[in-house]
Amino acid sequence: MAKRGPPKKPDSIQPPMTPMIDIVFQLLIFFLLTPSQSGEGYLTTNLPRTSGPVAGEKQVDVKRVKIELQVPEHDDKGVVIVLNENQTFGKNFEGLLAALEGLRARGLAADHPVLISPWMSCRQKWVVRAFDMAVAARFTNIHFAVPYI
Amino acid sequence: MARKEHIKTSGSGAVSFNMTPMIDIVFNLIIFFILTSQFAQLEIEQVALPLSMAAKVKDTGEYRNVVINLVDPDDPKCVVFGQQVDYLVREDDNELSAMLKSFKKAGGEEKPLNVILRADELIPYEAVASVMLAAGRAQIEGWWITTEVAEREDILGG
Repeated sequence: MAKRGPPKKPDSIQPPMTPMIDIVFQLLIFFLLTPSQSGEGYLTTNLPRTSGPVAGEKQVDVKRVKIELQVPEHDDKGVVIVLNENQTFGKNFEGLLAALEGLRARGLAADHPVLISPWMSCRQKWVVRAFDMAVAARFTNIHFAVPYI
Repeated sequence: MARKEHIKTSGSGAVSFNMTPMIDIVFNLIIFFILTSQFAQLEIEQVALPLSMAAKVKDTGEYRNVVINLVDPDDPKCVVFGQQVDYLVREDDNELSAMLKSFKKAGGEEKPLNVILRADELIPYEAVASVMLAAGRAQIEGWWITTEVAEREDILGG
C-alpha cells in the first residue's frame, strides 16, 4: 500500500514588484509633468498707444491714479513707491494695496485709469508687483508709462 | 543499474512576451515628445520670472505666439526664436518692430498675433519699455507678460 505523505502546501505566488514600481513611477512622472510643466501664468496688459489720434502724444490726465516706482540711491535693486505724487510707502506693497483699496472704497470706478510709472532703472519684479496690487484692488484700466519719443 | 533521469519539459514551448519594459519605453517616449514639442513651440529661454498673484494660466494655442525673452539683467538682451535682436528705441523701426510687423503681415487674419514677454525679474524697466514700444509700433493685438503664479501670502508675506 502506497504511503501517503502529508498534503503539499500550494506554492505561494508572489507578483513581481519591480516592474510594478517602475510603472507607478512612470505614471507619476507623466501626470506631474504633462498638465503644465511649470507654475507659469500670464498677465494681460495694455500696450502704449503709438497709432491713432493720440499716438505719440504725452498723455496728461490729472485724474488718473499714478503709481511711481523710484529707485533708491543706495540700492539699485530696491524700490520706493510713491502714490499720486504725495503718498510714499517705501517698499511696502501692502500699504500701496490698502491705499488703492481705499480709493476704490471712496467711489473710484474700476475702469478709472491707473498709470504705473517706473523709473527706467526700476527692476521688472517691482513693476509686476505694482501691477498686481492694482489688479488686487480691482482696477481694470491699468497702463504703463513709456519714454516719450 | 543507472538511474533514469527525467527531464521535465514545458508543454507547448510557447514564448511569453514581457510587456513591462515595453510600457516603460512607451511612457518615456511620450513624456519626451510632449516636453520637447512644448518647449520648441514657445522658444523660451531660462529666466527667473517675477512672482504674480494676478497671473492666470492661459491656453497659448488660440494665438500665433511670438515669445520675446529679455535676459541678462546686467546687459539686457532681447532674444526671439533663439536669435538676439536689436530692440533699442529709435524714431524709425528697429529690428524688433520690423520683425513683429513682418510676423503680423505673414500670418494673415486666421489667428491673431500674440506677443508673450518673458523678462527676468531683475531686468531694468527701460528694456521692457523699449520692447513695449516696438510691439506698440507694430500694432500688436495681444500682449502678455509671463510670471510665476504665486499666492498672496508668498508676495505680501504672512
